[in-house]
Amino acid sequence: MATTEIHAPAAPLTAPPAARRYRWLGERRLATLFVSPALALLLFLSIFPLLWALYLSFTNYSATRDTGASFVGLDNYIDILTSATVRQRAITTFVYVVGAVGLQTVLGFAIAYLISRRVRGRGALTTLFLVPMMLSPVVVGLFWRFMLDTQFGVVNSLLGSLGFGQVEWLTKQRTALLSLILVDTWQWTPFIMLIALAGLTAVPKYLYEAASIDRASEWFRFRHITLPLVWPLLLIAVMFRAIEAFRLFDLVYILTSGGPGVSTETLSFHVYKVAFLGFDTGVASAYGILMVLVVIVLAQFYLRYLEKLRSS
Amino acid sequence: MTFLDKPGVRRRLRRRFTTGVAVMVAVGTLAACGGSDDDSASGGDKAPATLPELTSEPVTLSFLWFEWPPAQALEDFANKEYKKVRPNVTVKVNTVPNPNWHDAIFTQFAARKTDFDIPILDSQHIGEAVTNGSILDITDFVKSNIETEAYDPYLLAAYGQYPQAETGQRDENAKLYGLPLLGDTWAMIYRKDLIGEEPPKTWDEMIATAKKCQEDNPGVSGLAFHQSNGSDAAAVTYNTVNGVYGGKLWDPKEKKIDGIINDEAGKKAMDVLVNQMKPLAPKGSGNWFIDEVNAAIAQGKVCIGFNWLAAIGGLLDPAQSTLGTSKEQILDKLGFATLPTQEADIVPLGGMGMHISKYAPPERQAEALSFMKWFEQADVQKAWAAAGGVPARKDALSSPEFLNAAPWNKVFTDSVPRLRDMWNVPEYAKLIDIENTNVNAALNGAKDPMDALDTIAKEQQAILDQSGDGGGIR
Repeated sequence: MATTEIHAPAAPLTAPPAARRYRWLGERRLATLFVSPALALLLFLSIFPLLWALYLSFTNYSATRDTGASFVGLDNYIDILTSATVRQRAITTFVYVVGAVGLQTVLGFAIAYLISRRVRGRGALTTLFLVPMMLSPVVVGLFWRFMLDTQFGVVNSLLGSLGFGQVEWLTKQRTALLSLILVDTWQWTPFIMLIALAGLTAVPKYLYEAASIDRASEWFRFRHITLPLVWPLLLIAVMFRAIEAFRLFDLVYILTSGGPGVSTETLSFHVYKVAFLGFDTGVASAYGILMVLVVIVLAQFYLRYLEKLRSS
Repeated sequence: MTFLDKPGVRRRLRRRFTTGVAVMVAVGTLAACGGSDDDSASGGDKAPATLPELTSEPVTLSFLWFEWPPAQALEDFANKEYKKVRPNVTVKVNTVPNPNWHDAIFTQFAARKTDFDIPILDSQHIGEAVTNGSILDITDFVKSNIETEAYDPYLLAAYGQYPQAETGQRDENAKLYGLPLLGDTWAMIYRKDLIGEEPPKTWDEMIATAKKCQEDNPGVSGLAFHQSNGSDAAAVTYNTVNGVYGGKLWDPKEKKIDGIINDEAGKKAMDVLVNQMKPLAPKGSGNWFIDEVNAAIAQGKVCIGFNWLAAIGGLLDPAQSTLGTSKEQILDKLGFATLPTQEADIVPLGGMGMHISKYAPPERQAEALSFMKWFEQADVQKAWAAAGGVPARKDALSSPEFLNAAPWNKVFTDSVPRLRDMWNVPEYAKLIDIENTNVNAALNGAKDPMDALDTIAKEQQAILDQSGDGGGIR
């Protein structure tokens, strides 16, 4: 049986007056109250550890020793900046960053460009290419360590069946760093590809149509339409990857332990040894602060270049 | 106009934000400093001389070790046997990968909170743990509860005493911070079917035999040994060859390394290792450690291999071996012997002791003491030997339970008088890293061998010189 409800005429929608006891909670205070938990969390998790590390970097503190921290001024910073060991690790890190990020950029952009020109199966191909990026670096390091093993690895076995000799991928000075670059490239090329693909997809089609009408060559279209429009986005991807590569630790730890000798020991791996083998917490904190500063300064230059690019 | 655009709002908010940050940093700093002060006052705790009253509530006694076969053997053995006397106790042996072992224990010590009650420390870690006040002094407890005279004195000293004992001895007046859990040393594993039943007696003879075997058997390399720059792998290999050729690692009384490790004997050892042994090792073996050496032996890729005794159980598993389809067939091909001698009669000390975390709760510290007392009894040590462990008591070492448990166990019994340890000082982790990376570099052609040796001497000396009075032998 149908029923009919009779509604009273709707009252005008006005906010009920605030209780007198909440009158003190004005707009400004309310905003502060809402923001303060997030702010407190940020301070506790990010700002405080950074400031604490900054404080420790001026001391000789060791986390394991039951002695307090003594102020040593700039000694830790001077030791680090004048150390031949640190210079060597910085060069290794630089070679690695340039090699890995350079290779990833070229490959990532090339793959994205090829995929963007394909109409069918584009989604499936993109997903497939993204798989390495989804894996944990430790897992990637472990299976590449097995694959690159000179005696038992599948890579040398494959090379052997093609008539090539055994390559000592992880135990020779030159090939060990190259192996790290190749493994990192295998894992992170998809990241560059993804960003480049987003940029390529966003290029307006009418530009290509106009170029076609003008009978512009493929290279002309790429050089004057595709590349300039994708370039800023690509540079951001390169910046992210460079910062990540600068902090590289896990792949080194699993694949080479910094060897042979210390020839693949990056700055991050060196800091790990200072912090957790020697437990020189003060020195390790100074390393950490310096590394953050380097990243911030380089990122600033980079962002300014990007800004200039955008405005021009 | 939003409220942020109102005059003075932004300025006031900025001021409040800055004040808030300053207050939080100050509070955090005070809190952190306060924690540090409290801890520094509580260092150097002692275990009671008598066993405290134990709880009847369910207890899980946690160990921390690295991942290898003895870890599972210990957990199985303890849960089977210790439960007979303490039914409410469950033993859990947590493990981490070998290269993380030191970090996993000492980062928890640094946090002044441990999820383990019994850290299993390498003999050289004791100095660091004692100096930092992270483990209990059990000297009085050992005096009242353990038959110390039943042990080989050096084994008791190596796994528990600090400051370090002279090689082969024990200082009766020194403090003890641990008790033996697992003895260990290197065994020489050789292919009887390729080099004959009799193992080489001298190091030079061993190298000549390996060389001939490699030449006679294409596809088989002469030697397999630890070369990795992780853990203490490459360093132990150099230290062993150094000892065999009459070298010394340091002068512990004077705390001197430079001029000792790189003396003539040290140089000879480095030359033998890099120029005579390395060419006989399989290509690409420059990052090999325990597992890789075992795999090379089990798959018939080498004539002679060197590995820690406690880690070679898998060699007799037909599922992992290409040497035979049964244990007997494998044993027809593999022989186990003590290390050859040369200028001196030295073998490396392996193995570890049990210690008690200062940060474990009192009831579990008491249970840990109870476990140690139980574990060090004669019949329990023999049962541990039969279960795959390597005991430290003299009666257990010569018992049929131990000698018949594995074909290589006699190697350990025969090796005990020849054992030599490294430096047990708080700076051990730095010293071992210097030696490991440089020996690994020399083995892999990344550094001239003699330059590597001199670098080791100079850098290790610098570490000891900075270290003050800690460590050394009194």
